[in-house]
Amino acid sequence: MIPMDTTRFVPVAGVAFTLLLLGAWIAGCTGTPSEGTIPLTSPRPMAEGPRGTLLMATTTSLYDTGLLDFLRPDFEKEFNADVRITSQGTGKAMELAKRGDVDILLVHDPAREIAFMDEGYGINHRCFAYNYFIIVGPASDPAVIAGMKPEDAFRKILTEGIKGTAGIAFVSRGDGSGTHAKEQAIWKAAGFNYTVDVQKTGAWYIEAGKGMGETLVMASEKGAYTLTDEGTYLAFKGNLQLTPLIEQGEILRNVYSAITINPDRFPNQNATLANQFITYLLRDTTQQKIASFGKDRYGKGLFSALQGADCVRFGCDCTALAGG
Amino acid sequence: MNEILEGLVQAVHLIVTLNPEVIEISVRTLEISLLSTAIATIVSVPVGGLIHFREFRGKRVIVTLIQTLYSLPTVIAGLFVFLLISRAGPFGFLRLLFTPAGMVLAQSLLILPIMAGLTLTALSGVDRSKRDTIISLGATETQTVLSLIHEARFAILGAVVLGFGRAISEVGAAMMIGGNIRGFTRVLTTAIALETSMGNISLSLALGIILLAIALAVNLIVMLVQQERVPHD
Amino acid sequence: MIDLQGVSRTYGAHAAVRDVSLRIPKGSVVALIGPSGSGKTTLLRLLDLLERPTAGRYLFDGVDTGGSEQQRLAIRRRIAMVFQKPVPLATTVGGNVAAGLRYRKVPKEEIRARMAAALAMVGLSGLADRDAATLSGGEMQRVALARALVTEPEVLLMDEPTANLDPENTTLIEEVVRRVNRTQGITIVLSTHDMGQGQRLADTLALIMQGRVHQSGRAQDLFSYPGTPEAARFMGFENLLEGSVVEKQDDLTVIDIGPRRITAVSDAGVGEGVTACIRAEDLTLLSARSTQGSARNTLAGTITRIALHGSFARVTVDTGFPVTALITRRSAEEMEFRVGQPICVTFKATAVHVIRRADHSPPAAG
Repeated sequence: MIPMDTTRFVPVAGVAFTLLLLGAWIAGCTGTPSEGTIPLTSPRPMAEGPRGTLLMATTTSLYDTGLLDFLRPDFEKEFNADVRITSQGTGKAMELAKRGDVDILLVHDPAREIAFMDEGYGINHRCFAYNYFIIVGPASDPAVIAGMKPEDAFRKILTEGIKGTAGIAFVSRGDGSGTHAKEQAIWKAAGFNYTVDVQKTGAWYIEAGKGMGETLVMASEKGAYTLTDEGTYLAFKGNLQLTPLIEQGEILRNVYSAITINPDRFPNQNATLANQFITYLLRDTTQQKIASFGKDRYGKGLFSALQGADCVRFGCDCTALAGG
Repeated sequence: MNEILEGLVQAVHLIVTLNPEVIEISVRTLEISLLSTAIATIVSVPVGGLIHFREFRGKRVIVTLIQTLYSLPTVIAGLFVFLLISRAGPFGFLRLLFTPAGMVLAQSLLILPIMAGLTLTALSGVDRSKRDTIISLGATETQTVLSLIHEARFAILGAVVLGFGRAISEVGAAMMIGGNIRGFTRVLTTAIALETSMGNISLSLALGIILLAIALAVNLIVMLVQQERVPHD
Repeated sequence: MIDLQGVSRTYGAHAAVRDVSLRIPKGSVVALIGPSGSGKTTLLRLLDLLERPTAGRYLFDGVDTGGSEQQRLAIRRRIAMVFQKPVPLATTVGGNVAAGLRYRKVPKEEIRARMAAALAMVGLSGLADRDAATLSGGEMQRVALARALVTEPEVLLMDEPTANLDPENTTLIEEVVRRVNRTQGITIVLSTHDMGQGQRLADTLALIMQGRVHQSGRAQDLFSYPGTPEAARFMGFENLLEGSVVEKQDDLTVIDIGPRRITAVSDAGVGEGVTACIRAEDLTLLSARSTQGSARNTLAGTITRIALHGSFARVTVDTGFPVTALITRRSAEEMEFRVGQPICVTFKATAVHVIRRADHSPPAAG
């Protein structure tokens, strides 16, 4: 009764998708009032002239402290630009950078940063701040690690854990984040092969696969040890039954770097603004702001400025950009 | 319990004081969800109508496929769109990643299957003799589909409401495509995820309550529209 | 106007319409009669181009309807159909009536005028703004008729237009149908299981059984001279007696039916197998004692059953084969009939309609 006509159906699907794209595009143009520029076309911004957009990928632990939103407005004003920050896990952030979806990358995973640079994805790799990871655990400290060297503490937790001593557990981020990378570096420094000697060696080692906040909550609920950045710990402290047990040790140092994505790999990359942002980070005034950030809320700064001698000592590059 | 109460109090406070950031995020959320729903409606209702109306080889396969896609995880929908519109992807030149437009695209795609599927169900619910009547009265094929959609409009409206509900409450695709950029692509769900990871539990709850309030308002409006027909049934 | 040539419509293994040839001239009124499930509805759906024949050709006004959907739509727009159970579209009464005109993109002003006229024709003026879902069955049927007629069709198809309607609505609808046929020359094809309605409205009746046109012609002819035993049964002949001709005297034909012989008027020859059909109301019952009447046939027997139907009584008599007579209840009571009573059944030779077995194949309808 109704004629069979498959030939007319297939184009319908095509038209549907085109419509979707078109609709979405229009939506984008109308859905963002108060935005000076439409982000879809990308005129290269200058300090004067049309307002530019800097797309930044960063790690959750850096963004979630609020530091970047604290530093952002001054830059936006001075350089007539919008800074759009997407905070993702370190792995995801680097993936976005490699695909050219962002202009600048802010991370804290030195080993992977070096690989990233070696593969030619970035230019102008600079360190701009640092702080220390801390090892937290229940106040009772069942493995008795308080005040130990981090590597020794890890070795002790592992030994007791594998032995099956009651109340010994360690919660790992287990999500490939920068914090997880740091944890693995400590295991290595302590003389263990992470995948063989640590993972799946017993119920004591818990891989959460979650963000820092949720990992802390899990450690607290289980009375376990974990490695955390200080900022997140301080933010969650009120809800946690966890105490900082180890806050010292070279290996706990956590250095934050910025990398401009190589504009030669992708056209339309906003390298100019990215370089300007790095230059802005390295400025004395910005460095002071970094050092002061968090004092009002937590009574102590969450980050330390990173300049000059410190920088050299950490094996970092903090030199001003050419022409920046 | 304490935290939930705190959340409630904070929600009321944020709303009453018209907190600019909360208002901005709410408005953006509403805009993106409504647009996604509108686009998905424009696409899915005629497509559903055509699938229902036409007899063709593979119809059953398509219907099954649509119903399978009901369970499409939002993160997978997000990933799919991400790969399409990432700069390295085929539609990278459109620069839709990390824009509200990209979010609208992802959410439209996400809710398309369920809306098309429910449109199909809605049309199947229309008495077969109505279709005969419409055809007999001299309707063209297009007119027939449109008339059938008109007959099933209340059931289709239900599909639209459900699509909107999915869009506004969705977090995976919104996070992946929008990037939760403050002042640009941050919506209620991604803001909730962020605030939760920052330990601001009561603020998260407050934002959740605001989201539910928006959804409730939309549902109430739809209910009012639907009530028009109650005396006739 | 309508010319069906060997049209069949099968659904899987089921043949709803089989090899139907039917020619319906412009301006005529044809009633399709037949038991339910005989294929009347499918035939009407074929005529309305809602279905395509699986075999055969359908010419509409000389044009083959087997073309593209586009061409079929153009033809369909010259036809209107009222379904057996009309459904309202989810809008107002006026919207329902206007639907066909809207599909034809008739200008708004004209739609309004024609819609109002159509509603007036079925006596529902002023109901235009009512929600169609609130209509009663009779009103809906009238709205459906208005909805069909407003498009000024050349052919109006109606499937059991007055089934389950009260007499008042039935009369109204029949009047409208008669009027549009007479004044506008609209060709009308309707299906009905009501012989009376067929007789009242139609010039031609087509008897449909098991998907075939068994017989067609004037109502009186179908009623009195059914062509097949099945047709005879549908036309109300209760007594169908199988036998063979044993003797002829001019028209008078003696038929041997098992133990008895009856005399009928027919042109069947000696030795031919026939079915003798007698209406129950043409049988007269006489008490066994009474003298023979003027009727040629008298069969003695015993009453085996008496069934009362209102003011009538249906009396079954075993005369060697069972026959059933319809008499008034009063006479049954006056004659004090009871089961087991010996009795005589009489009927005239002219009351017997003889169907020759050779004629059983249904005739090509004209």
